[in-house]
Amino acid sequence: MPLIATHSLTKRYGTSVTALDGLTLEVEPGIIGLVGANGAGKSTLLKILLGLLEPTSGSATVMDLDVATHGPQIRQFVGYLPEHDCLPPDVSATDFVSHMGRMAGLPAAAARERTAEVLRHVGLYEERYRPIGGYSTGMKQRVKLAQAIVHDPKLLLLDEPTNGLDPAGRDEMLDLVLRTGTEFGIATVVASHLLGEIEQVCTFLLAIDAGTLMQAASIASFVQHTGTLGVEVEEGADALAARLTAAGLTTRLEGRSVLVDCPDERPYDLVRDTVDELGLALVRLEQRRHRLEDLFRTEGRADDAA
Amino acid sequence: MTQREASVIPRESATGAIYDLGYRHYDGPRLGRREAVATLFVASLRAAFGLGRGGRSKIVPWGLSAVLLVPAAVAGAIQAIAPGAPSPFTYDNYLWNLQIVLALFVAAQAPELVSGDQRHRVLSLYFSHAMARSDYALAKLGALMAALFIVALGPLLVIFLASVLVASDVVAAFGDQLGNLPQVIGSPLLYAVPLGALGMAIAAFTPRRAYATGAIIAVFLITAAVGAILAEAGSGRISELAPLLSPFVLLDGARDWLLGASLADSPVSAAHVPLPVFGALTFALALAGTAAVNWRYRRVGA
Repeated sequence: MPLIATHSLTKRYGTSVTALDGLTLEVEPGIIGLVGANGAGKSTLLKILLGLLEPTSGSATVMDLDVATHGPQIRQFVGYLPEHDCLPPDVSATDFVSHMGRMAGLPAAAARERTAEVLRHVGLYEERYRPIGGYSTGMKQRVKLAQAIVHDPKLLLLDEPTNGLDPAGRDEMLDLVLRTGTEFGIATVVASHLLGEIEQVCTFLLAIDAGTLMQAASIASFVQHTGTLGVEVEEGADALAARLTAAGLTTRLEGRSVLVDCPDERPYDLVRDTVDELGLALVRLEQRRHRLEDLFRTEGRADDAA
Repeated sequence: MTQREASVIPRESATGAIYDLGYRHYDGPRLGRREAVATLFVASLRAAFGLGRGGRSKIVPWGLSAVLLVPAAVAGAIQAIAPGAPSPFTYDNYLWNLQIVLALFVAAQAPELVSGDQRHRVLSLYFSHAMARSDYALAKLGALMAALFIVALGPLLVIFLASVLVASDVVAAFGDQLGNLPQVIGSPLLYAVPLGALGMAIAAFTPRRAYATGAIIAVFLITAAVGAILAEAGSGRISELAPLLSPFVLLDGARDWLLGASLADSPVSAAHVPLPVFGALTFALALAGTAAVNWRYRRVGA
């Protein structure tokens, strides 16, 4: 059973803005990264899956339930962390998360108990009794995550969970997402425009751009070896590249590195000997992996991805 | 499923973990939509009185409730000191005389219940649960009506108790006063439902609390003023129909129709309109307000 499947999903706002353009995809449970530039349609997709927005055309299912006809059933086992602020400033985190737990169907006592647990899980302690209005951005993001998991959902939809966080806060939030997703087996969709984040936590990647699917594959297949050897030298990269090209290898310059295509192991010795002959200071010799940026580069859209 | 079972292991063998993860799966009962709506209703009713909020949230609702109670309490005290002294207040005219306080309560507390959820975008969290949009609208509407009912019922109960307690024969007086129960309960109900619907219909349309409060006060003031001016200055049929513009005149007419006792200072008699018309228009006001709130929440962005 696919976790999420969409078929020719299209969403237009008015007549001019197309957020999703015939999106067709299918993903299995896991931690799924949904990556794309701002405006690529990530939030729109999540909102359609939740039934908060109606698609203009096409269909979508979550765990085999159609979003158009089974919205309430789907929402019962989904936790949602919106991209934008969604917290009232005048109530405490404890009161708010517990209230949301009850909105999600928990009995009063269970809501209180689980609120205490999830607030501890996200790392909110004494401050949870103070009004949310006085919280830092990082604490607010934690409250948003807590309200999304208070009812123990089967599927978590996280829209830019690291929005507005400093680097340390980012790492902590990603670690939380990873722990929640892997240790507790909650299927998770993380939407982000930051590829580095997706790389850290996800098992599967969906790249969308301008409302259409660009790539769908497991992270492992993206970061496998590419057969490219990176040779970083202090100086003289041009000379090295010229000599290697003359010797019949395909090379490319990237800053102080020369990237050498290695279909087999033959070029390794040649590279080593050439560096020695030129008397260059070798800094690094590494097998290059595919990186997520390459996704966008192959499509000629590196500018959007950055 | 294997993932879920496996997830228990790291928690129990938390060797090296710095802190308790705290998270566990939940296998207990899950309640449905109805319980969620009931919870939202109760939470909103509490919020209408600032319960569970800081002290500042309590000032307005409790202050207005007190203002509404004071005349009834003073009248009761006078009765106790000088039994038999005529009281200016009856079950029929009390809410009519203090309508401005009720209007202020609606203007202050209707936005209190709904503006924040729109302004701070909490709505997207509500709507991402099983609750339907109309459930949210009805829970908030019901909470405001219930709050208004409680606030309006208070002073009438004070009058009721004062009438009983100052009597020489308390038991007999209680028996006498029981006959007034329809007015004691009916008038607050008749005021609470249409006023709540009207106030919420206005408040639901803006995320800005101050705008909502201003708009509600403006509607009460302008309708009353225009109604009064047309009644004076208009001619013939216009001046007769003009009082119908004011919601409070409608409410008094409906009360007159259902519970009896015309008030001397109410424009109802001047309108020369059959009382059932007031009743029908009051009903229409409540219905239209409810429909408007529902319509708004079907469309509002979440």
